[in-house]
Amino acid sequence: MRMRFGVVLAGVGLLGLVPVAAHHSWAAEYDMNKPVTVKGPVVKVEWTNPHTHFYIETKDEKGTTLWNFEMASTLSLERAGWSRKTVQVGDVVTITGYGGRNAIERAVAATMTSADGRELFVGKPGQ
Amino acid sequence: MKDTRVVVALITAVTLAADVLVAQRGVDPQPTGGAPRLGGPNGPPLAPAAPGRPVPMLSDGTVDLSGLWTDGGSAPLERLLKPGELKSLMLPWALKLYESRDESLDPYNNCMPGGPLRITGGFAWRLVQHPTVNATHIFMLQEGNAHTYRQIFTDGRKHPEDPTPGWYGHSIGRWEGRTLIVDTIGLHTRFWLDSAGTPHTERLHMVERWTRPEFTTLRREVTIEDPGAFTRPFTATYTARLAAPGNEIMEYFCIENNQYEIPTERPAR
Repeated sequence: MRMRFGVVLAGVGLLGLVPVAAHHSWAAEYDMNKPVTVKGPVVKVEWTNPHTHFYIETKDEKGTTLWNFEMASTLSLERAGWSRKTVQVGDVVTITGYGGRNAIERAVAATMTSADGRELFVGKPGQ
Repeated sequence: MKDTRVVVALITAVTLAADVLVAQRGVDPQPTGGAPRLGGPNGPPLAPAAPGRPVPMLSDGTVDLSGLWTDGGSAPLERLLKPGELKSLMLPWALKLYESRDESLDPYNNCMPGGPLRITGGFAWRLVQHPTVNATHIFMLQEGNAHTYRQIFTDGRKHPEDPTPGWYGHSIGRWEGRTLIVDTIGLHTRFWLDSAGTPHTERLHMVERWTRPEFTTLRREVTIEDPGAFTRPFTATYTARLAAPGNEIMEYFCIENNQYEIPTERPAR
């Protein structure tokens, strides 16, 4: 398993999570035993369905790693008051989530925090 | 490992507390397996309960069923029947297929229509009566997944003798008092009846009884008859909820960027 700068891999499995998923089989795609935390600039936003995807780039002396974080659908985000402009290319964010079964960089997001510490896509917009 | 911060162990209590925090703040609450996916549920917020508010009636004497609704068809059939009942009704081939199916194989997860039950799933859907009074057609417009519609003929026509099997089949509706009865045949087998993979054959015949017991609720009682897959007919009851005022169907095309068939491969720019 590759571990790069800015990546925090929790070393224990997570217990007691409430099983939830948006559209697809979460368990078929992601591994709860691969919790990840990634900090870096957003290099691409796919404001698409069935799910949105935010691409984050991290760098270290070994090179660049591109992360593809899946989030909820556009309609669930927009119903909560966010838009395609809430997080834009160039913004630096910290995302926690769970890595993909086949490639850890193809991950699902559980939290996203802006560079100034605001939690994004949770609660009410602007909070 | 230089330049790498590794948390060797997390205290379980801290982890659980964090997860509870996330669960309370806008992650999808659908209990279908896995952990949170940031951003919230697909469906619209529900209308507040309105006990005692009269159910709207139309001048032709029927109940006005129109509106923006959510759910009313997404629960697996097994959950709606007595424990073990669904499996006990399956013919051997159907039971074998049911137990072999994995949700990753569900055509619905590959953006195909979900059939007449699942069109009213976890997304918003709008029921349209056309014309509103003495309707000849009823449409169910699905927001999610295939972003498609089902049509029910309420003009008195009969089923065709040999309908070409389809995703939603041929549906005819009539009123019995305050109940809309929808009869459907002509379904193929390229969809699963529910997310658990309940099998069926082209002999499937569904009779739905739609009522509006409260202003904010639709009740849908479905009798499923398929002598090709089940030993006898059975009935399941679903509930649809009215969406909060101000909500509309939103655009959603599952086929747009479905990465499900590319199972968590390394991203490429």
